[in-house]
Amino acid sequence: MSIVALSELLGASVRDASGAVRGRVREIAVAPQDHPTRIAYLIVRTADGERMLPHDAVKSAGASVRATTDAARWDRFSPTDGVLLLKRDLLDQQIIDIHGRKVVRVNDVELESTPVNSHLLLNVVSVDVGARGAIRRLSKGLVPSFTLRALLEKIPPRVIPWQFVDLLETDPARRVKLKIAYRGLAQLHPADIADIVEDLPPAEREAVFETIDEEVAAETLEELDPDVKVAIVESLDKDRAADIVEEMDPDAAADLLGDLPEDQSAQILKEMEPEERQEVTQLLEFGEHTAAGRMTTEFISVAETAVVDDAIEVLKRFEGSREAVATIYLTGPGHKLVGAVPLVRIAVASPAVQLSELSEPYVACAPDTPQDEVAALFDKYNLITLAVVDEHGRISGIITADDVISMLRHRD
Amino acid sequence: MAPLKSWRVRIALVLAVVGPGFITANVDNDAGGIATYSVAGAQFGYTLLWTMIPITIALVIIQEMSSRMGAVTGKGLSDLIREEFGLRATFLLMLALFVTNFFNIIGEFAGVASSFELFGVSKYIVVPLAAFVVWGIVVHGTYSTVEKVFLSASAFYVAYIVSGVLARPDWRAAALSTVTRPESAGFRNYGYLSMIIGLAGTTIAPWMQFYLQASIVEKGVTARQYKTSRLDVIIGCLFAAVVAWFIVVACAATLHTVGKYTIETGADAAQALRPLAGDYAYLLFAGGLFNASLFAASILPISTAYAVCEGLGLESGLDKRFEEAPAFYWLYTLLIVFGAGFILIPRFPLFRVMVLSQVANGILLPFVLIFVLLLVNDKELMGSYVNSKWYNVVSWITVGVMIALTIAMVIAQVRG
Repeated sequence: MSIVALSELLGASVRDASGAVRGRVREIAVAPQDHPTRIAYLIVRTADGERMLPHDAVKSAGASVRATTDAARWDRFSPTDGVLLLKRDLLDQQIIDIHGRKVVRVNDVELESTPVNSHLLLNVVSVDVGARGAIRRLSKGLVPSFTLRALLEKIPPRVIPWQFVDLLETDPARRVKLKIAYRGLAQLHPADIADIVEDLPPAEREAVFETIDEEVAAETLEELDPDVKVAIVESLDKDRAADIVEEMDPDAAADLLGDLPEDQSAQILKEMEPEERQEVTQLLEFGEHTAAGRMTTEFISVAETAVVDDAIEVLKRFEGSREAVATIYLTGPGHKLVGAVPLVRIAVASPAVQLSELSEPYVACAPDTPQDEVAALFDKYNLITLAVVDEHGRISGIITADDVISMLRHRD
Repeated sequence: MAPLKSWRVRIALVLAVVGPGFITANVDNDAGGIATYSVAGAQFGYTLLWTMIPITIALVIIQEMSSRMGAVTGKGLSDLIREEFGLRATFLLMLALFVTNFFNIIGEFAGVASSFELFGVSKYIVVPLAAFVVWGIVVHGTYSTVEKVFLSASAFYVAYIVSGVLARPDWRAAALSTVTRPESAGFRNYGYLSMIIGLAGTTIAPWMQFYLQASIVEKGVTARQYKTSRLDVIIGCLFAAVVAWFIVVACAATLHTVGKYTIETGADAAQALRPLAGDYAYLLFAGGLFNASLFAASILPISTAYAVCEGLGLESGLDKRFEEAPAFYWLYTLLIVFGAGFILIPRFPLFRVMVLSQVANGILLPFVLIFVLLLVNDKELMGSYVNSKWYNVVSWITVGVMIALTIAMVIAQVRG
């Protein structure tokens, strides 16, 4: 078992079974449909056009390649979408380093060669993103290969194992054929995904958002810079955009749709499920910089006569954000807001206690309260959530502290 | 109400996109540019003003391609060169860009030093201070704050327009020679010809393509906003051309009229202006030189750091913190420290270095422009945004002429 670099193989002379040099390696192909890492064939430029040297006919690979078959038996190469071409698709291109959570450029690709029976098994094991790969390629052909090898030994490697690499491919059909699904990426924290996405060019951003799970996409979208967010949603198919927006917090969704050009937000709203659409439309009607524009309509309210157990039942069924459950609001006759119970008090109380006994003085504001006053209320009363009540004293939504923090950070 | 609103929306849209193109075109009027325009005016009066129109067109065409590539691909020029032409080509190009821009940076700090020496302030005070300011602005700013600083610096170029007016030129003669065909007799004069080459060469520099495209990308301009971005480039180039025109006119109306033909730098020009156009013109001219040099001195290092890091796959960007993009910030810092440091060496051969920087620019420019043209015509990359046929004809001619002129300039400079 040994490691051979893609840049060493490219341009290497190829000898067939007769021992005669038949051509040079031009490309190396992996067919992800058949095997995720195994080299499917080498593309050899011969006097008689480009030929495919199948992986099971490779006897040795290094500064020169030996084949176990005659050149006459190698099939002619015709370009196809379904294979990953290591030089074209990887070398010098950007990839996502899942482990390091960033976008990096590939300097070289490392292959592992294992002798099996009479041939060699070549597998992609890692990509080199450090100085070692760069120096190897820059000095190739200028420095004798043994000197080079000795020199490269001294450079600490910076490689990313293949399983932590997500390729960027903007063509959706090809993405399917190459089985690129951004599974690794989707497992990261949405805030990390957002950082990565912000480093990508627009087409690649779109590719990521077309592919990853809607829920992850929605959470990531909420973490993005407003400009980037708008650009991404505009570039997406309206159907897909609606699926993602449905998964977002209604207040974040309303903010986003409010930033989009009107025709675009209308199209997205049209594609959304009626229930989500109604919530978002309501929020959209308020000014963006008021309490109502910042609030979410997904919160927990129960009757003041309910007991702790009831509240816990409601909590279990609640689908809104985690921030919103910090306070449970109590309503009296006519759905008027009468009290607020912090989650901690429920957690430590016994199941049969009536909620009104646990209630604390609450802070509320009117829907048209300017956002600066909202922030001042949070500051003054050390709030985690703030209720927004209408002119009849009914609670119409809540603002959570995380909304206030991002509001303060993105104030123009 | 509706037309008013749409008009306001349009202004807001333009303001949102104005930036990269405007800044890049203005930095073009740096210490070297001002010197060249001043010399042109002092030596040849109004007779070289006709070059302004073709030079502006060339500038717009080349800048437009870079900004279009940035908007469509979302990638910097060195990113694209790396992806399409491989590591080795990129490495050599980046090395050349680094060296060239380093010479240019020395030239800019020389401009800072000489402008303050006019006021009797020692370069040992001004240059370190300027270097520190430049470093701080960019390292501690984000993209949008830095852009605001740079845009304000661009506004200071109005100083040259004012000093042009104060010089009381013969407006009719100046306007006429801007739009009339030059007399062919002039072309037989070696000095006149080399001045034309100098003007063209100082206008289009290799770093501009990298800087413009990178800042379009960092600003997040997309293909759909591209039309406003093109306006940004055009407005910027026009403003830069107007400033250049006024510098030529100011020197032509004063220095040339009284027969004071021989000046070498922008500072010489300011000094010579004083008895002829008054203290205000002198102050504005000298202040303008300082602003222009400092401005270019802050942009060149950053542009270089961007380009080199992108091309070599190192983390880059003003929106990153120092520890996230160490190579980027180190390159930037070193370019400033050494660029400013060389100026402080006693008896430093400043004029030789300025000439050398022009030569280095000239050698690098053909390569950069050819890469730009090849990339902008790559269908896989640009899709429907490739150059149209006639645009290609015009741009290849422009690039061809630019290359021929810069090669001529390099030869002329090397021969002395």
